[in-house]
Amino acid sequence: MTEVSIEQLTKDYGQGPAVDGISVRIAEGEFISLLGPSGCGKTTTLKMIAGFEDATRGAIRFDGRDVVHVPVEKRDIGMVFQNYALFPHMTVERNLAFGLEMRKIPKTEIRDRIAKVLDMVQLTGYAERYPRQLSGGQQQRVALARALVIEPKILLLDEPLANLDAKLREEMRVFIRDLQRRVGITTVYVTHDQAEAMTMSDRVVVMFGGRIAQIGAPSDIYERPANLEVAEFVGQVNIVRGKVVNSIVSTPLGDVPVVGHYADGADITLALRPEAVELLPVTAGVAGVPAKVLSSYYSGSLVDYRLELANGTIVNVQTFPRTRFRDGETVLVHAPADRFWPLGSVA
Amino acid sequence: MSAVAGKRLGPLLLIAPAAILLTAFLVLPYLNIVLMSFRMPGQGTPYGPGLTLANYGKFFSDIFYIQQVVNTLWIGFVTTFACLVLGYPVAWQLARGTSSLRALGYGLVLSPLLVGIVIRSYGWTILLGNNGLINRTLMGWGLIDGPLPLMYNALGIIIALVHVFLPFMILPIMSAIQGIDPSLEAAARSLGASKLTAFRRITLPLSLPGIQAGCILVFVLSLSAYVTPSLIGGLRVKTMAVTVVDALIDTFQWPFGSAMALVLSVTGAIFVVLFGRLTVMKWKA
Repeated sequence: MTEVSIEQLTKDYGQGPAVDGISVRIAEGEFISLLGPSGCGKTTTLKMIAGFEDATRGAIRFDGRDVVHVPVEKRDIGMVFQNYALFPHMTVERNLAFGLEMRKIPKTEIRDRIAKVLDMVQLTGYAERYPRQLSGGQQQRVALARALVIEPKILLLDEPLANLDAKLREEMRVFIRDLQRRVGITTVYVTHDQAEAMTMSDRVVVMFGGRIAQIGAPSDIYERPANLEVAEFVGQVNIVRGKVVNSIVSTPLGDVPVVGHYADGADITLALRPEAVELLPVTAGVAGVPAKVLSSYYSGSLVDYRLELANGTIVNVQTFPRTRFRDGETVLVHAPADRFWPLGSVA
Repeated sequence: MSAVAGKRLGPLLLIAPAAILLTAFLVLPYLNIVLMSFRMPGQGTPYGPGLTLANYGKFFSDIFYIQQVVNTLWIGFVTTFACLVLGYPVAWQLARGTSSLRALGYGLVLSPLLVGIVIRSYGWTILLGNNGLINRTLMGWGLIDGPLPLMYNALGIIIALVHVFLPFMILPIMSAIQGIDPSLEAAARSLGASKLTAFRRITLPLSLPGIQAGCILVFVLSLSAYVTPSLIGGLRVKTMAVTVVDALIDTFQWPFGSAMALVLSVTGAIFVVLFGRLTVMKWKA
C-alpha cells in the first residue's frame, strides 16, 4: 500500500496553468475522486500522477519518494482508461499477461495470477476471448483486472464508466468500490459525474480552473460546500441571498440564524438543498411560506417541484411522492433554519 | 410485371451499367486472353487456326523465360521490402507526428503521383546513367574512377520503382496507424513497457492491415510495371511485362504473349494469396 502526496503540482502548457499549484495527500488504501467540469485540470492531474505529462512545477511522492522524473513504465501504476484501451489483437489472457511479462514474472506464476484476477472480476472462462467478443461491461472488468494483476502501487481510473449505459454504470460503481476495498489499493478516480464521485470515494477533490475548490468527504462536499461553484456543481441547490442583522438573515423562506463572524449589514449567500425543504398542504395549519406549484417532475422514488413564492422567488424542492401536489396549487413551504448553509460573502 | 418482381429487379438495374462496362471491357478481354494463349501461332498473322498447349510448353521449357519470371519476382520482392522499410517511419511520422510540417510531408509523399510516370522514369535515367548526374558528380569529386553501373540493371529498376511506388506503401500504413487508438500505447506504457516495446508489441502488429495492403499493392504494381523497367532496364534487363509487350507488339506473337501474360498474372496472384495467408489476423472479425 502506498501513500501518495502531491505538493504544489502545476502544469502550464504555455497559455496559463491547466493545473495551478494543487496539493493533496492521499492516504494508504484511500479512494479519492478528482471531480470537476471538463477543463478543470482533473485529467491533467491524473496524467501527471501516471507520468504521461511532465509537471511544470511541484512534486508527486509515492511513499515519500518523488517520482516526477520517473518515466511511466517505471512508476508501477495501474491505469484504467475511459475507452478501456484493451489490446484488440490479444486475447483477454494475453492482455492480462502483458504487464506481468514486462515485469519478467515466471510463466507459471503468470498463469496463477491471471486465474486469480479473472475470478476476482468474475470473468473466469473468458481467457481465450478477444476484446471485441466482450460486452462493454466485460471489457471494463478486463481493463480493471489488467491494471490490478500487476499489483501496482496505485490504481488510476480516468472516467472509466463514461461509456457504459446508466444501469451498468451503477452496477460497476459498486463493483469497483467493493473490489478496491478488498484489494486495499490507493486509488485516484477522475470523473465529472458527481454521483459517481460521491458514492465511491472516501474523499472528493472538487476542482475548478486548475485549482482545488474543496477537499472533503462526500457528505462535507454536499452538505457544507466551500463556495457557490461547489454547491452548484454537486447536486441541485437553491441560492438565497440576504443581509445579516444581529446574526440573523432574513430570507423569503424565513429568518435564518447564522453562526460565525458576520458583521451587521454583511451580504451573505445561503445554500439550501431541494430535499431539505418540506412541502405541506395549506390546510395543514402550520407555519410556512405559501408558494405556487409551477411544475413537477415525477421520477418514481422522488418528485421535483418548481415553486414560486409571492415575491417571485423560485424554489426547487425534492420530496417523496407520498403527497402529490398539482401544478397551480398553493402549498406551504417549510425550510428548517438549520438546513441553510452559508457560502460566504457575496462577491 | 408484378410489383414484387419490379422490386427485385431494381437493384439489378442499378448495378447494370457498371456490370455491363466491366463485362465488356474487362471480363471479355480477359477471357479472350485465356483463349488466345491456347491458339496456334500464326504465319504472318497474329494467330493461326486451331488450339494448342505449345505456347505454355515453349515458355516452361525455356530457362530464359523462367529466369525472367524469377527476375521479375525478385525485383518485386526487393522493391516491396525497400518501400516497407523506407515508408513505415514516414507513415508513422505522418500519422502520429506533432510537427506542423506534417501537412508538407503529406504533400511531399503525394507529389510523385502528380508527375506522369514516363517523366519520372526519364528523370531517373538522367540521374542514374553512366553519364548521369550521380556518376558525373562522384567522378568529379574523384570518389570513383569509372561510372557505377546504376542503369540497365535490376538495381536501377528497383531504385526507380521504389520512388514511384513509395506513396502506395505509405498511405495505407499511415491510415492504419491513424486508426490505432493512441491510448493503447499509453496503456502498454502504464503496464511497464518502454516506448520501443509498446511500439513493437502494440502499434506494429496493429498496423499490420496497412502493411499487408501496402505490400500487396506495391508488389502487384512492381510485377506489372512496364514504363519504368523498359526505360531504365533498356535492352539488357527485361521484366516479364516488358517481354510480354515485346511479344505482342514487336514480334506479333499474340498467343505466346498471352500465355506469358497469364503466367505472370497467376504467379503474382499465388504470391499475393500466400502472403495474405501468412499475415492472416485472427483478432479481426
